[in-house]
Amino acid sequence: MLLAVTNLIPESENMAGMAVSEAVDWLTSVAKNRDRQAFEHLYDYFAPRVKSYMMRQGADESSADDLAQETMVQIWRKAHHYDPRKSAVSTWIFRVARNLQIDRLRKHKLHEVELTAEAEHNDDGLGAHERFEKRPDAEKLTALIGTLPEEQMDVVRLAFFEGLSHSEVSYQLSIPIGTVKSRIRLAFDKLRMGMGEKI
Amino acid sequence: MKINHHPDDATILAYAAGAVTEGFSLVLAAHMELCPHCRNRMAEANAVGGELLSELRPVAMSAGGLDNIWSRIEQEPEVAVTQPAVPAAVDGVPGVLTPYLPEGLGSLPWRSLIPGIRQYVLGGVESGRGSVRMLSIAPGTTIPHHTHMGGELTLVIKGAYEDETGRYGSGDLADLDDTVGHQPVVGRDEPCICLIATDDRLRFSGIFSRMLQPLVGI
Ligand SMILES: [Zn+2]
Repeated sequence: MLLAVTNLIPESENMAGMAVSEAVDWLTSVAKNRDRQAFEHLYDYFAPRVKSYMMRQGADESSADDLAQETMVQIWRKAHHYDPRKSAVSTWIFRVARNLQIDRLRKHKLHEVELTAEAEHNDDGLGAHERFEKRPDAEKLTALIGTLPEEQMDVVRLAFFEGLSHSEVSYQLSIPIGTVKSRIRLAFDKLRMGMGEKI
Repeated sequence: MKINHHPDDATILAYAAGAVTEGFSLVLAAHMELCPHCRNRMAEANAVGGELLSELRPVAMSAGGLDNIWSRIEQEPEVAVTQPAVPAAVDGVPGVLTPYLPEGLGSLPWRSLIPGIRQYVLGGVESGRGSVRMLSIAPGTTIPHHTHMGGELTLVIKGAYEDETGRYGSGDLADLDDTVGHQPVVGRDEPCICLIATDDRLRFSGIFSRMLQPLVGI
């Protein structure tokens, strides 16, 4: 599965033609009003991207189409679980698509915990500022991602979208695994700094 | 619980990308249950995934895609989809592990591996060429020096151990890759119980350790 790096560079538009708040309204309306028109807006924007994601994970075009449809069915069914205080719509949809991909293409499961729940252990020695209070600001994050050097983004994209392990990323880009990891660390340090968090 | 050792950013990213074994996801979820700092990091990594999904070059859906979706929604009965809740922690063991350790730590059917070390392999967890197991290591035991073919994640559940990279107590997670060799030593006061996931086989160095390898089978 060798891909030229140029294939990994997405088109420059992001969230083109759709404000983040609009997506929240649509998904909320799907949950509350079973709003078919709002759902179709979500479909128009996300289904072709989820299909693209599935193809990068190794699905052929027709299975990717089918997986994108199934992702959308799950979005309809699970919409009431979406909480705009906890995550952006794109984050929530990414997780639905990712978990479906792991189940269908990798055929195993991914264990997860509720990320926004307060720690049940009060003796963890951490201050309140280290607890998760609100979701990462999607617009700010988009802008920050745009400022990351390409060499860092290439590594991050390969991991996310080709589903590659770090040693596979290392092989594909012909850089040592230590360099793969340090580029990921640099990218996340910069994102966290930009999001105004202490590292 | 003061947690000092956390997974690497690269590991969190691989977890968010879904590019880890089920075994790794189990150990990472168990750590995150105890660690608000890493829950935060995971939420960020997921958010990056969402942003990158939005950036992907769209591939047009098939002509009947939307109609198919509506007919699937109409045909299949609307079952209320509930998200499975993570069970509560029992006996200091993170809740995500309780389905694998239903009786708690006390009555685990440990098997002796080598003197001082007992293990229990968690069944039915996809781990590639590796495994997920609990180890119970007697006070003062030194684990033979070894490196890893792939990665190894170790979550300390009870007790503590030390190696070249520091002291690991309850809740701490050691994130090692094939570039790191280590020789953990368990504290003298109490046994150390930890959860270890590998995604490939361990590689012991030294003649005696290599002789142990076939016996240990890790
Ligand atoms: Zn942590």
